[in-house]
Amino acid sequence: MLGYQNKMLRIDLSNKTYSTEPLNMDWAEKYIGGKGLAIKYLYEELKPGTDPFSEHNKLLLMTGPFTGTPVPCSGKLAIASKSPATGTILDCSIGGHSALKIKYAGYDAVMFEGKLDKPGYILIEDDKIEFKEASDLWGKGSHETETILSAEYGKEASILSIGPAGENLVTMSCINSDYYRQAGRGGIGAVMGSKNVKAIVIIGTGGVKVNDIENTTKRLSEILREDTTSEENMFIYEDGTTAFLEACNDGGILPKRNFSDTTDENWTKYNGEVLLQYRKGKRGCGSCGLGCGNFIKIGDAVCEGPEYESIAVAGPNAGIEDPQAIVKANQVADDVGLDTISAGDVIIYAMEMTEKGIYDFGIRFGDKEKYIEYLKLMAKKEGIGADLALGVKKLSEKYGGEDFAMHVKGLEYPQYEPRGSWGMSLAYAVSDRGACHMRAYAPNDEVFEASIPPYTAEGKGKMVVDLAVYNAVKFSLILCDFWPLGMDRMAELMTLITGKEFTEDDMNEVAMRVIHIARAFNQREGFTRKDDTMPKRLVNEALKSGPAAGQKIPQEAFEKMLDDYYAVLGWNNDGIVPDEILTSL
Amino acid sequence: MAVKRLKFKKENCIGCQLCMQACSGMHEGAYTPSKARLTIESYYDKGGDLKFEKHICTLCGICEKECPFEAITVDEKVSVDFDKCTGCGICAEKCPQDVISIREGKAIICDTCNGDPYCVKLCPHGALQYV
Repeated sequence: MLGYQNKMLRIDLSNKTYSTEPLNMDWAEKYIGGKGLAIKYLYEELKPGTDPFSEHNKLLLMTGPFTGTPVPCSGKLAIASKSPATGTILDCSIGGHSALKIKYAGYDAVMFEGKLDKPGYILIEDDKIEFKEASDLWGKGSHETETILSAEYGKEASILSIGPAGENLVTMSCINSDYYRQAGRGGIGAVMGSKNVKAIVIIGTGGVKVNDIENTTKRLSEILREDTTSEENMFIYEDGTTAFLEACNDGGILPKRNFSDTTDENWTKYNGEVLLQYRKGKRGCGSCGLGCGNFIKIGDAVCEGPEYESIAVAGPNAGIEDPQAIVKANQVADDVGLDTISAGDVIIYAMEMTEKGIYDFGIRFGDKEKYIEYLKLMAKKEGIGADLALGVKKLSEKYGGEDFAMHVKGLEYPQYEPRGSWGMSLAYAVSDRGACHMRAYAPNDEVFEASIPPYTAEGKGKMVVDLAVYNAVKFSLILCDFWPLGMDRMAELMTLITGKEFTEDDMNEVAMRVIHIARAFNQREGFTRKDDTMPKRLVNEALKSGPAAGQKIPQEAFEKMLDDYYAVLGWNNDGIVPDEILTSL
Repeated sequence: MAVKRLKFKKENCIGCQLCMQACSGMHEGAYTPSKARLTIESYYDKGGDLKFEKHICTLCGICEKECPFEAITVDEKVSVDFDKCTGCGICAEKCPQDVISIREGKAIICDTCNGDPYCVKLCPHGALQYV
């Protein structure tokens, strides 16, 4: 099919060899690329029970048919593996330029297998693959690593790297690219670290062929103007995700002090209006039409961002109001290679544990210097950091506070408070990689547009399935979240690029396959309904402030949402995908 | 009427390189930014500064003057007569914008898509203009 390179690069790290093979185009027709195709490959190639840190786990970089083309917002790369944080399937999405370079180097996907015998990095320069020594890079931050490798290979090279956290197998380690873009969640950086791969350097000078390129380019220029950069989407260019801070605070879903409440009366101290005063420039990913990135410098604190999640966790959820500290926390987390969400959630859990006198982690709400210090300690697993690196789930099993341990399946909670958006509690519970807001995003319907009542279980099973269907297609096309294009548009783009007719129904079928196969992977690992959970805090404690004050989510309501969700998908009441669906995948 | 030229405003550039994809798509039969007739990129220098690099044809006419074979004509756009062009590379060497490449023995220069440049059409926030 056009749009694809029809080629996968397979790199055997143990033997330092590589080979290429045709991309499985039967699978590509059924799962497209990105998330869906990556999960299909890993479902077929990873044996159940594989230890995520063993040489038998694999790390898969997956592009899609739009990657490297001017389809707007198509510059993202899926990175997939089995998660060391959760034991589930794990697919992440990273921006920057690496996806495009992989495609221009001639590949749709790169599969890493085995493990290097000592620290190294991999150079992919079109059809030349080299295994390089990295003992001098090992231990360095992601930013310094990228600076050193950029100096050697030039700015044409795109670099994926890990920080010390990934090297030390901290299960909330990210992969960085372009300094400030991350595949953040589920410990994907620790998988790379377990393979002794410090970095992947990609140089691609080839091209991508598509159907009827002149007319396709013309049509894409129209779509860019009429759809992508239409007025209602421009907030992401103008404000970036700082815009969500206002929407969430006003909607009563901005979490405060480890999710003990919502709505921060002091939010104007660190909101977009404040942060954007320090903006030094705008930057998007390759093929982006929007450009969410705000390059911000406040004193010695520098980052592209901070994004909503990173502001919320290091700000109100930590009782911190200093914008410079929020930016610094983001910068340090990126550099040491930690997911800002999970690492932040660990720290705010530790703050609450200390405040409540359950266990003294030596840090309290508002302690901004220690927040940053603890990130560094976690990455190195030094001192208190060795404990904190366990993550919220294991920490709560060890020290208590399980009622306010905010995670699902061992993946820490994103920064959207479900008591103000009940559908979100279901979305987190059933997400294929543990608590994630990118699998189904309820706040748009339940809060921002307020088109669906937020404080009820009624209709939420179907709502979350519909949202998951949309995202499953979008992230299998491997498009950016910030272009809210319709399913009809996604089908049109597939037809344009590949030259093969795709309909909205086809897209829906892809989505169902993707949702089923991700669940099938997890069910093979032993996950069932018992693992689709909600932290007890949401059941037991009503919110005290904001528009959702008084709200908590009764367990029966949560169970009803689960029942409905499984039923809509045709899974049994224990959340099991039946054999007739499994055999069709 | 004044001749229209490509202009670049870095304040509006997000470094997406849609311009280079569009250019190569309209000229090379594949989206191949390495073969685009312009280069615009932004990058973080050592992570600490956002920098821009741009190479666009400004129709300055130096290539026409320097070409020993009278193969290049510059009016509203640049035209290269491939029958006369020997691929000597003098134009590429003298181009102040460093925007000319020699491929397969011929000078490859931006033709502003014959007055309707697709790099501009695909530029999302008006960083590239044809005015």
